Amino acid sequence: MNRQATPRRRESLHAALLIAPAAGLIVLAALLPIVVTVSEALHGHDLRLPWLGRPFVGLANFVEAAGDPRFVEAAIHTALFALVSVPIELALGLALAVVMHRAVRGRAVIRVAALLPWTVPTVVAALIWRFMFESFSTTSFNWFIHPLAAWVPIAAADVWKTTPFVAILLLAGLQTIDPALDEAARIDGAGPLRRFTTITLPLLAPALVVATAFRVLDALRLFDLVYVMTGGGPGTATEPLSLYAFVVLMQHLRFGYGAALSMTVFLFTFAFAVIWIRTMGRTLTSERA
Amino acid sequence: MSLAACRAEDSRPALSFSGSGLGPEAELVRRQLDRFSDRHPHVRVELRVTPDAADQRHQLYVQWLNARSPAPDVLQLDVVWTAEFAAAGWILPLDRFTPDVADFVPAALRASKWQGVLYALPWFVDVGLLYWRTDLLQAAPASLTALEQAARRSMTSGETPFGLVWTGARYEGLVTVFVEYLAAAGGGILSEDGRVTVDAPAAVEALTRMRREVGADGVVPISALNWREEDVRLAFQNGRALFMRNWPYAWSLLQDPARSRVAGRVAAAPVPGLDGREAVAALGGAELAVNAHSDQPQLAFAMAEFLTAPEQMLERARFAAQLPARLSLYENGALDGVLPVPVRPVRQALNAAIPRPVTPVYSELSEILQVSLHRALTGQQHPAAALAEAAANMRALLARSGLAADTGAR
Repeated sequence: MNRQATPRRRESLHAALLIAPAAGLIVLAALLPIVVTVSEALHGHDLRLPWLGRPFVGLANFVEAAGDPRFVEAAIHTALFALVSVPIELALGLALAVVMHRAVRGRAVIRVAALLPWTVPTVVAALIWRFMFESFSTTSFNWFIHPLAAWVPIAAADVWKTTPFVAILLLAGLQTIDPALDEAARIDGAGPLRRFTTITLPLLAPALVVATAFRVLDALRLFDLVYVMTGGGPGTATEPLSLYAFVVLMQHLRFGYGAALSMTVFLFTFAFAVIWIRTMGRTLTSERA
Repeated sequence: MSLAACRAEDSRPALSFSGSGLGPEAELVRRQLDRFSDRHPHVRVELRVTPDAADQRHQLYVQWLNARSPAPDVLQLDVVWTAEFAAAGWILPLDRFTPDVADFVPAALRASKWQGVLYALPWFVDVGLLYWRTDLLQAAPASLTALEQAARRSMTSGETPFGLVWTGARYEGLVTVFVEYLAAAGGGILSEDGRVTVDAPAAVEALTRMRREVGADGVVPISALNWREEDVRLAFQNGRALFMRNWPYAWSLLQDPARSRVAGRVAAAPVPGLDGREAVAALGGAELAVNAHSDQPQLAFAMAEFLTAPEQMLERARFAAQLPARLSLYENGALDGVLPVPVRPVRQALNAAIPRPVTPVYSELSEILQVSLHRALTGQQHPAAALAEAAANMRALLARSGLAADTGAR
């Protein structure tokens, strides 16, 4: 036994040594900033008010956030934006993916054309959409001045820009479906709608789950589109969490409170990721079983 | 000795100035620093380039000063930063150098002091002006009411699609417009002793007036709630409004016949007050302060004093069109042919100028106000409710910062 254990131990030591650099990098690049942010979030730290020092305040920053109407509104804005924009992107992306999948002639051209919006830098896309909606405005109605209407250009730009991304993910999913299944169903007399709902959609479910996860995580971190298009206005009617955290950190220079707000963005996205992958992963595997 | 001549292996102590690295402004500063360096050959004068965007420059300063960096020795500060830097202990009180301040524009001098102590020297000033079309109106309106009436007449007669344009986007420019309306109504954001007064009746009256102006039957277009200085200037310069509230920089652009449709048909005046009250103008501009950790405070102060001397201010007016912060320069035609904008209305406006609140937490205070003003103006809140909320948030901010009036301001 002893003779066997020693080489094995040596092997595992060897493995640990080989893993160390990569593990170290992960700790440095991913964990360290999070640890620093957590520590900052537990302190009262305002760069402009050095006479207050940097006292440990426990969860006071998080308590302040819970009672800060602007934070609560920003959280609601972020959640609503994800709830509205992601389903639209999934529906349009699915339609686009089916078209790209079915296209017989000009496949390459169609795919490149469909992907174009995804390649435009977000800031540029945001400016284009802002100018467009400004030109749709009249002397008595302006898209960026009505607190609800101001969301329309933001959601439109987001849908326009990310639908191609969803479509490409779903197209990859479509291509893994064996055409023989569809063929068999057709011979059995199933119509196109029936075949789509009973064969294509269930088999596409894994790709849909992944696309949804990517899009929701992105939507929860919404920042650049709003920063360029409305700056969070009118008032703070279109301000998402990330933008509020940015304002507190970079403009007010309240590092403690700003770090706490950033942590909540992180916690929200992390919670969604965990719940989504657990529940959807379980349903998918149980369906297959 | 020129700046270019002073290079690496120079063992003389360095003295640095933080300024712009771009265009004519950088040239002007370099030229003036060269002259200073001729008078002080035993130091090496450096220009430390900082971003021109106010937010970015501010952020950089805060990082440097928190780290107790001794450079730059001389800082250029926006007028609304001085109290913040003074309270934080980042800049030196200047009284020990016994500067002569009698000539400085009073409002700029008020903005240079924190708790009665001088912390900066006014470098140049900026002041809100009312521009109007001389082909449509003979004289500047004497009151805000007369202004609104003339604006409405111009709209109903079809002479201009809009009556008045101002900067209504959610940013600092909106606060400057509000400060003028507020002072015109006899109010203020903070009282002399640092109490929040932005929910007083005068403030509600001022905001209600602004909201009426931008409302359905108002004289200001609703798009103005997205406009900053340049959007406002473009609207006015394309002949779309009778009045414009803007800064002096707009003058030479408006008078350029190649680009402006209203060239030669524009005049400027201070923004009028409410009936029977005096005119008021929001004050902008910059000041020079000495880094508290400077290795050579005496020399750094000499640099600030040199750059704010009349000679340098006149040169700045000529090459950068920035208004001198010394009243004597507005006398005896010293500025004739130097400034593009007519001197008389500018001087009147400077006499009527008021600083924005002088407080260490100005930028956050202003952001609270921007949000509430914009909510009220875009119809999301009533003016009184919006200002009550702003006042509550400001009081909480002052209390949290240890600056509340009743707990003994720092």
